[in-house]
Amino acid sequence: MKNQWIVFLFGRVTVKVTGRGIERFLNVLTRNGILIWNVKRHGANTITFKIKLQDAMKIRHFARKSECRISFLRRSGMPFLLKRMFKNSGFLIGAGMFLVIVFLLSNVIWGIEIKGAKPATEYQIRQELDKMGVKIGKLQFFVDNEEGIQRKLTNNIGALTWVGVELKGTTYHLQVVEKNEPKKQKKLSPRNLVAKKKAIIVRMDIDDGQKKVDVNDFVEPGQLLVSGEIGQEGQKPRLVAAKGEVWGEIWYKSHVELPMKTTFSVYNGKEKRKYSLLFGKLEIPVWGFGKHGFKDYKTEINIHKLHFLKWELPISYVDRTIRESREAVRTYTVKEAEESAIEEARKEIKKKIDEEAIIKDEKILHRDIKNGKVILDIHFKIIENIAVGQPITKEIHE
Amino acid sequence: MAKNWVGRVRSWMAKNMDLPQDVMMDLPRITMIGQIHVYIENHRGLLTFTDKELRLLLKQGQLLIKGKSFVIKTILPEEILLEGKIDQVTYINDDKPGGEK
Repeated sequence: MKNQWIVFLFGRVTVKVTGRGIERFLNVLTRNGILIWNVKRHGANTITFKIKLQDAMKIRHFARKSECRISFLRRSGMPFLLKRMFKNSGFLIGAGMFLVIVFLLSNVIWGIEIKGAKPATEYQIRQELDKMGVKIGKLQFFVDNEEGIQRKLTNNIGALTWVGVELKGTTYHLQVVEKNEPKKQKKLSPRNLVAKKKAIIVRMDIDDGQKKVDVNDFVEPGQLLVSGEIGQEGQKPRLVAAKGEVWGEIWYKSHVELPMKTTFSVYNGKEKRKYSLLFGKLEIPVWGFGKHGFKDYKTEINIHKLHFLKWELPISYVDRTIRESREAVRTYTVKEAEESAIEEARKEIKKKIDEEAIIKDEKILHRDIKNGKVILDIHFKIIENIAVGQPITKEIHE
Repeated sequence: MAKNWVGRVRSWMAKNMDLPQDVMMDLPRITMIGQIHVYIENHRGLLTFTDKELRLLLKQGQLLIKGKSFVIKTILPEEILLEGKIDQVTYINDDKPGGEK
């Protein structure tokens, strides 16, 4: 029997037969292996039926011998559908173009929003973004990904402490934290000043409050320095917010080890870029074929997700930068090693203390060279503001 | 006489060897699905086809099917599938020519 779909694929024709001896003609056709279906009679000497497109030519040959006349009425099926599609190919091209345009527009940067920055910084950020190529109207897959933008912005703009870059749809949202945000002058509640570290007091500048310790006193952490309770003796004390700076000398000890010989890997400037498309897990290279031939190298991978309207497609555009690296050896003399070890120790200390603290003195307590390493124990004398506010609560007061 | 003898052997074989009669004796096999379909195997050609009548040639005699709005769904050299509303199926024998019509 015939298969409906295969017949559809190869095309079918409706045939109209008129004349005498139609039944005989049908018998001839069936005996010659022509598949006939949907035979219908219309009136006394007309019938219609369907045959396969391949049989349409053979049927003429049999018709000539019979007393009937045949004509073809309707053509349907794949071959005719295709023919029509080619005729109306404009529509098809239009539909394709539409999809392509929507796809491209979905991957264009349509906005950059910067939050939390002062106008000056915002301007700077916008210029920096322009330099990187992050502009309104650019395609997303030709710019760095979020982490890259984030890194470059933090590196290149000094005024930024941190910037969060997030791509939401077609808009980049930048959340900025600036280094010197204007301090809010808040109304202080009554408080005492207490020591935050163990120190010897060297200087006291007190604006408000009752001094409880003196210069050259040794204080423990948490000890009361300036009291917020003021007033004449015997009278009911008044509560104020104690204000002022208490500078104490603090001793720090730090231990530094620094190898005299260090190996680094540095880039020598040679690089190769490769581009590919990622379909799920299947990666198809698009540009940049061949081996890079580098012995030591690092690969930086940048994956751009492609979007269609608001949906993320399972296709990504990947660009790889392979940089050749070279090993570099840095060798210090003992003196140089010592100097940089001290420098390192200073940096280490500075991280622990306030910005306005001063290093008053540093002394090397112990120096050793072991296994190609310089080992130093350094003693730092630091003058730092040790006062820290502690609110006076009812419980403490009573 | 000889033909009759062959016929008798065939009938005997069909009866005693459990073989289907239509294969052994070249008879048509007619399958009907309610009133709407008739499926006839082993016919010998189309004689008449209108939307109310279908006449088929058999090895012996003819088969006449009457009804309404007939459409031949498929026709093959020895098979035919008819669709429509079937009212009657009649055999017409050779020895009574034109008995039914």
